[in-house]
Amino acid sequence: MGIKEQIKTVLREAEIYRTQGLFNEAMVKFKYASELIEKNVKPENGRHLVNGITKKVELLKQTISKYNDPEKPPEMPVEIQNLIREKFSFSTDKESAALDGAIALTKFGQFERAIKEFKELLKMESFRLVAAKNILRCYFASSTSSSSAAEGAVFQYKEWLTLGLFTPGQLEKIRFFLENLLREKGIESGLPAAKEEKAAIKMEVAAKKAPDKAMPAIKPLIEIPGSGEEEEEFLDVSSVGIILETGEKKNPEIILDVSFQSGNMVCLIVPVREKLLIESMKAGLRLNNVQFYSPIAILNGSGVVAAFTKISSGPKMGNYSLDLKMFTN
Amino acid sequence: MAVFNIKNREIECKIVYYGPGRSGKTTNLEYIFKTYKKQVADQMVTIDTEGDRTLFFDFLPMGLGKIKGCDVKVQLYTVPGQVQYSSTRKLVLKGADGIVFVADSFTIRREKNMLSLKDLDQNLKECGLNIFKIPLILQYNKRDAGGSIPIMSIEMMQNDLNKQLKVPYFPASALTGEGVGGTLKECMKLTLVHLQKEFKWAQ
Ligand SMILES: Nc1nc2c(ncn2[C@@H]2O[C@H](COP(=O)(O)OP(=O)(O)O)[C@@H](O)[C@H]2O)c(=O)[nH]1
Ligand SMILES: [Mg+2]
Repeated sequence: MGIKEQIKTVLREAEIYRTQGLFNEAMVKFKYASELIEKNVKPENGRHLVNGITKKVELLKQTISKYNDPEKPPEMPVEIQNLIREKFSFSTDKESAALDGAIALTKFGQFERAIKEFKELLKMESFRLVAAKNILRCYFASSTSSSSAAEGAVFQYKEWLTLGLFTPGQLEKIRFFLENLLREKGIESGLPAAKEEKAAIKMEVAAKKAPDKAMPAIKPLIEIPGSGEEEEEFLDVSSVGIILETGEKKNPEIILDVSFQSGNMVCLIVPVREKLLIESMKAGLRLNNVQFYSPIAILNGSGVVAAFTKISSGPKMGNYSLDLKMFTN
Repeated sequence: MAVFNIKNREIECKIVYYGPGRSGKTTNLEYIFKTYKKQVADQMVTIDTEGDRTLFFDFLPMGLGKIKGCDVKVQLYTVPGQVQYSSTRKLVLKGADGIVFVADSFTIRREKNMLSLKDLDQNLKECGLNIFKIPLILQYNKRDAGGSIPIMSIEMMQNDLNKQLKVPYFPASALTGEGVGGTLKECMKLTLVHLQKEFKWAQ
């Protein structure tokens, strides 16, 4: 194949990948085509082509960053929300199924509707606390700015203080939970408590009882109820420490931040400088020496690598993403 | 998660189309929707936003009529393929009775196919299911594209994906429809046989 033909072929491939939505693949091919042209075609003939390709690459970059934008998913039509609520609730009793449905709505980013559903669940004693926490979390997940989220959540909490729906103990747990949500957003707040002195004692109790569902959740979007799938039951982890076992040498602990947690799965960002770690990671690998750091407790355990991939776009590009399934000892 | 209603002799099962992003899962369902109008029970719900940031899923309910004296209904779903939507993907997979794994024949997607199959294995485990036991079909999609870009041979894909599983596979083109019906029918067959053991639904 002559060089002209080769360039044409590469460009045609790039176009096909682009139309198929395989943007990263298209990008690689476009860049390769540019290289080929720059190396093999006289500048006066090639410049024009390369400029055209550069424009396409720019457009692709925009498209890719749009796709990776953690922008809030749009609120769906009611019929679709109903479908989500109906199809993704698996519990057999009606009340638990309603909770499942509301949680599914949050997983699909349908926060306003989810708040409505959780408010219904407040009427049921057994779900009251978990529903309240979820409502607060929905406020944070759905707002575009943390200050408006905080406003909404605090307003809600104050309303609950006056309603007489919750026991003082429950209100205390909610306050503790909300303060942590706020702190995460860098907002220190002195929320009014239900009863001042009792509050201090209750907080201590809550703090000692880790891991407990009263614990502040750090990353996951939703509060998982106490019953149901045990795979989802795991304390909220803010960072994970890994000690690699390579030969006899004792390796230092590598601390990684959690970017997302769902049940006992955490997604960790591995900086590109952690060469040893990056070299040894692969899906399925078991790590026997792992520490899970939560705001209250540190647990020893192990982990299984579920996925390990290089981040190919966005602000963390070039670093690695490590999905780890956590097990405590 | 199939529901068997003994009184009405009605069975409803769930089939999930799994696979890497852009492998053609939605296109499969679209073709089925167009082609098997009579069996389609209701509108197909496609919840793609902005072209395809498939954060969501597709949903297609079908009624297959009477099979061995039982009214068979099936609900088809697709999962969001993009790596980052792991938690919604798991939610859609939950309760699946049968799975169609749609692999992309593009050579450039070779690794993505393998990663997605691994991801399926992992997620099934987390749902308490076993990839070697659940009814599973592999579909090697986009066979039509071979003229214009590099695609993998069936042997290569078999070697990559089906060496251990040894499940039925179909070369296909969701765009032209080739292999789409065959894939679904085979998956339905395996699923119903599988469910027979559990429910004894067939007369
Ligand atoms: N050439 C070709 N393109 C296909 C085929 N199936 C899907 N596509 C294209 O691949 C892209 C992604 O398909 P889609 O069904 O949205 O993939 P999904 O992410 O798996 O749902 C679209 O541009 C489709 O037109 C096929 O069989 N042949
Ligand atoms: Mg799709």
